[in-house]
Amino acid sequence: MTSTPSSNGLRAARRRSLPWQALVDAAMLLLWGLMLLRFTVTGKLYLLLHPDYMWLAHLAMVLLLAMGVSRLIQVWLSYRQGTGQTIRSQEHTALLPRQFSVALLIAIAVFGLVYTPRPFASETAFQRGITDVLGQTRSRPQRFSLGGASEERTIVDWVRTLNVYPEPDAYAGQVAQVSGFVTHIPNWPDEFVMISRFVLTCCAADAYPVGLPVELPPGTARPDPDTWLEVKGEMQTSTLDGKRQLAIGDPTLTEIPEPRTPYEY
Amino acid sequence: MTQLNNGITLFFSLLVEAMPFLLLGVMFSSVLLLFVDEQKLLAVIPKNVVLAALAGSLIGFLFPVCECGNIPVARRLLTKGAPTAVAIGFLLAAPTVNPVVFWATWIAFRDQPEIVFLRVGFTLIVAVTIALIFSAQADVRPFLQENLTRMMGPEPVAAAPAEAEISPLLRSGTFLMQSPGQVLQLDAPPAQVLAQVAVATPPMVTRLRMMVDNMVLELRELGAVLVIGSAIAAFVQVAVPREVILGLGQGPVTSIVAMMALAWVVSICSTVDSFFALSFASTFTSGSLLAFLVFGPMIDLKNISLLLTVFKGRAILYLFVLAAQLVFLLALVMNLYTS
Repeated sequence: MTSTPSSNGLRAARRRSLPWQALVDAAMLLLWGLMLLRFTVTGKLYLLLHPDYMWLAHLAMVLLLAMGVSRLIQVWLSYRQGTGQTIRSQEHTALLPRQFSVALLIAIAVFGLVYTPRPFASETAFQRGITDVLGQTRSRPQRFSLGGASEERTIVDWVRTLNVYPEPDAYAGQVAQVSGFVTHIPNWPDEFVMISRFVLTCCAADAYPVGLPVELPPGTARPDPDTWLEVKGEMQTSTLDGKRQLAIGDPTLTEIPEPRTPYEY
Repeated sequence: MTQLNNGITLFFSLLVEAMPFLLLGVMFSSVLLLFVDEQKLLAVIPKNVVLAALAGSLIGFLFPVCECGNIPVARRLLTKGAPTAVAIGFLLAAPTVNPVVFWATWIAFRDQPEIVFLRVGFTLIVAVTIALIFSAQADVRPFLQENLTRMMGPEPVAAAPAEAEISPLLRSGTFLMQSPGQVLQLDAPPAQVLAQVAVATPPMVTRLRMMVDNMVLELRELGAVLVIGSAIAAFVQVAVPREVILGLGQGPVTSIVAMMALAWVVSICSTVDSFFALSFASTFTSGSLLAFLVFGPMIDLKNISLLLTVFKGRAILYLFVLAAQLVFLLALVMNLYTS
């Protein structure tokens, strides 16, 4: 489509100069692909996305790497042939200067290659309104199979079950075994903490916290916020903030390392 | 420090979630550029302006892209000479009225199918209305960014943009002045003259290569814009406590306003926003959920920066105000008369 100027001098000058623009583009594509690869390999993708959508990120990773490699091959071929033909582009519609766009994208990819994302913790849970969490989840009873033993339920299973049938007395005496991080709720007595998890519906941007109150055995030191615990106890009804709530009573607390997939889905 | 970490995690989460859709978007856009004959596409679009707006709104069924992907396609449609009604209809409706989003919404709101169908219906009403309002203006060019109008050329059929790179004044030969900025070299080889007059159809390999070139080009630009938009969205999410937005109320009016504000701030991709809305389904009115699902994909914090690659600020303001008012009205009617 383009008629290249056929001046011999220009062509000779181009012959041995590297097409920097194409090389930088290739670097950008490869770095983005590598960033996604790193998130995938290190499992940090679990902190960012719902597992259902991970194939999309993987697809993007493959596409980006393929585009980067094909661009490199293209550069190498044209360099070896000495045609000096730079990568043609159909148009330049620059809202941002090209160098700025490339620099920004490369910088973000490099940052993504060195930065380790961290899961949300209790401070965020509190900020995102963990207190009224029981009302915020929408339960889809047919999607949960709660036929199993009560100790197999996760925090979010409990919260969804409570949403279907909120009367706390109905669950009294059932055994609960859940894991999550500790959140301190202001206004609660010292012997109560919230054991909580974030629930992801698609990505970290919409993570919302759910939690169950835990009544600590007498004489137990209050665990620090963000400590990951496995809590095993019996369900009881407690009155917190003037509200009757389901709580885990008389628990055994076991400190656990932060799980690879800290969110629930 | 926690806030900063959260912000960065959110930022990468938005990027990682949006990047595949952006890739899909630029891919479809590049396919449209090189493999779809614009003449044929324009020929099948009805001449009647209402039907054209409706047709534009339904093109999304052929291009399952979300709002980060539809802007390059809309931009391409404009450069291919699509009427304003078609382009605006597509821009506003395509992120919602497409099979992927329909499927996602259906999964999320299987128990409330009215949400799924009303989402599509409301989107079509709003998109067609705004498309009609915009097409009342005979020439849409004053609303568009200059680099785009330059590509559109003086006629609806786009001029070969690569020509602009080499000034015709620097070449020797016999030229025929055509419309401003275009010359036809008469003593060039006949094939070249023909190529300048007729639509050029390069061989498949070249077209594939051009497609990849174009993808890289669009990805570079739109990717940078997406980075900035996601950064802003992440910052606002971290800086503004969610209770402030949610605490605005449960009333028929305030819930709609709150959900629209949330949609605007969260900037979540239309392909996955129904799952996000699902988590509010028990606390918010159906009308406000619909407002979220209809308004979010049209205009949000993230895609305003993408919209700026097509429109001037004034036009985006019009789009924003019109879409907000229409969505609000429809959602309010829904809240007041159906619940």
